[in-house]
Amino acid sequence: MNLEKLFDEYRGLSDAKVRPQEPKVDRFLKAFREILSKENNWAFLLPLKLSLEACTHCGTCAEACPVYVGSGRQKIYSPLYRADLLRKIYKKHFTWSGKLFGRLVGAKEATEQDINALSEAAYRCTICRRCVLACPFGLDNGLIMREARKILAELGIVPDELKEEGVENQINFGSAPKIPYDALINILDFVKSEIEENRKNVNVEIPVDKVGAKYLIINNAGDYLSFLDTIRGIVEIMNYVNEDWTFNSPKTGVFDNVNYGLFYSDKDLLRVIKAHLETFKKLKPEYVVVGECGHSYDVLGHLIKDLIPPEERPFKVIHIVELYDKFLREGRLRLDKDKNPAPVTFHDSCKIGRCGGIYDEPRRVLAASCKDFREMFPNREYNYCCGGGGGFALMNKYNFPEFRMKTYGRLKMEQVKNTGASTLVTICANCKRQFLDTVSYYNSSINVSGLSEILANSLVY
Amino acid sequence: MYDFTLFIIGVVLPYIMMATFGIALGYNFFKFMFLPRPVMWAIFPAKKNLASIFITIGKRIFSLPGPRKFDKLIFTLAWMFHIGLIVSLSLHAKYIFMPHLPLEYEIGSAAGMFAAIGSFGFLIRRIYDKKTESYFSDYLALGLLIVTLLLGQYIRMFKLIDSIQVWSWIQGIITLNPVLPPADTLFLIHILFAQVYMMYLPFKTLIHPIAIFYGQKIILDQRHIRR
Repeated sequence: MNLEKLFDEYRGLSDAKVRPQEPKVDRFLKAFREILSKENNWAFLLPLKLSLEACTHCGTCAEACPVYVGSGRQKIYSPLYRADLLRKIYKKHFTWSGKLFGRLVGAKEATEQDINALSEAAYRCTICRRCVLACPFGLDNGLIMREARKILAELGIVPDELKEEGVENQINFGSAPKIPYDALINILDFVKSEIEENRKNVNVEIPVDKVGAKYLIINNAGDYLSFLDTIRGIVEIMNYVNEDWTFNSPKTGVFDNVNYGLFYSDKDLLRVIKAHLETFKKLKPEYVVVGECGHSYDVLGHLIKDLIPPEERPFKVIHIVELYDKFLREGRLRLDKDKNPAPVTFHDSCKIGRCGGIYDEPRRVLAASCKDFREMFPNREYNYCCGGGGGFALMNKYNFPEFRMKTYGRLKMEQVKNTGASTLVTICANCKRQFLDTVSYYNSSINVSGLSEILANSLVY
Repeated sequence: MYDFTLFIIGVVLPYIMMATFGIALGYNFFKFMFLPRPVMWAIFPAKKNLASIFITIGKRIFSLPGPRKFDKLIFTLAWMFHIGLIVSLSLHAKYIFMPHLPLEYEIGSAAGMFAAIGSFGFLIRRIYDKKTESYFSDYLALGLLIVTLLLGQYIRMFKLIDSIQVWSWIQGIITLNPVLPPADTLFLIHILFAQVYMMYLPFKTLIHPIAIFYGQKIILDQRHIRR
């Protein structure tokens, strides 16, 4: 099989990015060697080496992979096949059995074609980690793809949407979409007037950059541009419970909660975390509340605890759905289910559910605020990735969106349709973006919504 | 010449096999133990304390939840193979203490059949199921196993070997006063293949218990959450 053409049916990375004619083997192996050292890969070395060495190639993981199933079970989209592109090189160059016995043990010399193919393969996996549940040993082929992306990033092979238009924009301008301060304030003014218009006799306040507030709510900046209803919902709920809270703006640093470094580089992951910490240091909140975003919760809610010493993060981190659930349990939200009469279903975002442990909170909130809440199947840890994870929701160049729609999207649409729900709720901006694209691609009438607006809509004044 | 072969396979090789197996197993275990503690990247629902983690690992070893949910065929084959092998190996281990057990013939034969069917199933699945990736090393492991199991089954069913002789041989190895094994060609091939397999296994991939211990522990450990 011609590896160079292997993933050419769909492309997420241009030839200008992959540079297929440029010799890369030596640099690739150097970068690979570096991530296998304790000094350079403190974070994920154990699970990476274990997943590279202990796989018996049984293929049980394939049926767990949404892109494999969604693609009509094409072998090139199986987790095992993708991970083996890297595993073969690992065996040949970094194990004595591979050096001695070569192809007999599945080892293969790295070639330019392999690296070109791996560049595309690494961006066929959303790192949703559903395959981990299938593996009897708990091995993580998703992690192997993430580490492959790290190696490739050292060669400059990263989608622009994640690096130049993502991490670099965020650090230089405070948000990936480069929203200026004035524009943000205009957006928030619009939100305020809209709520006040809809809810007569309600005074709405939207604190921005308030120092020492109990709750600093940091949103995915994409919500300010594409999902303003979610922002409206957050503002309305926080005003309803009359809490001490604030948003932040470019004036205090990074106000976009995303961290695309998670998807391709530990170095950029840490750069963004440090930029976030600088912002939090200025604002001194008691709680950092991650708005409706999945991977951001994975980073700020979980990974930060292993990467940053406690004294440098003197605040608690919660997801906004945990805050809503707290308000609900405290009896501070009076809700009327009849205000949301349409059948609603809920999508467990991978980074919030499988990787984040939040399953019950959104269900409690939806059950309290919607008349007809329906589970989709499979759900919770077994839920399928929507196809927006791993940075995919942002990757819109070439024919990559078509790939997302025809694989992940197709499977997900079937799952949602089977519920009979007319509204799909999710608490991750990337999932929402992917669902909007999917719904449009399949001409579906399903309404895509965040949780905040659903909850706000059911408030009784 | 035949005595020399008996001596090599039945007296020398067992010690080489035990040393190789033990050292390779220990190396694999400790190699991973001393790698840096990873960032916890649990898969939820996960566990908050070590006791729950180990109990869940134990449960997962026996219930194989992943294969059960995603691939019923490999779940069935794995159950047949592992149960057959565990019972069969236990009946071999009884030679450490005694030469006979009641119902040994019936139980052993059934267990051997289970293990052989399971391993044949694995082999066929590797050949025909496009989801798998298989290399010579995978087929070699299965080949060694199948030959060992079939010969063991044949020897047991047709009662080719006197169990008192096998008991004496194993007692000799354990007490470091080795004696020659029963002089039967099929038995010699059986123990030769079994020993080669035991020496090969820790080098091929991490032996299963080690991989399960570390892999499942990583995904089950959520002790950092809420810290």
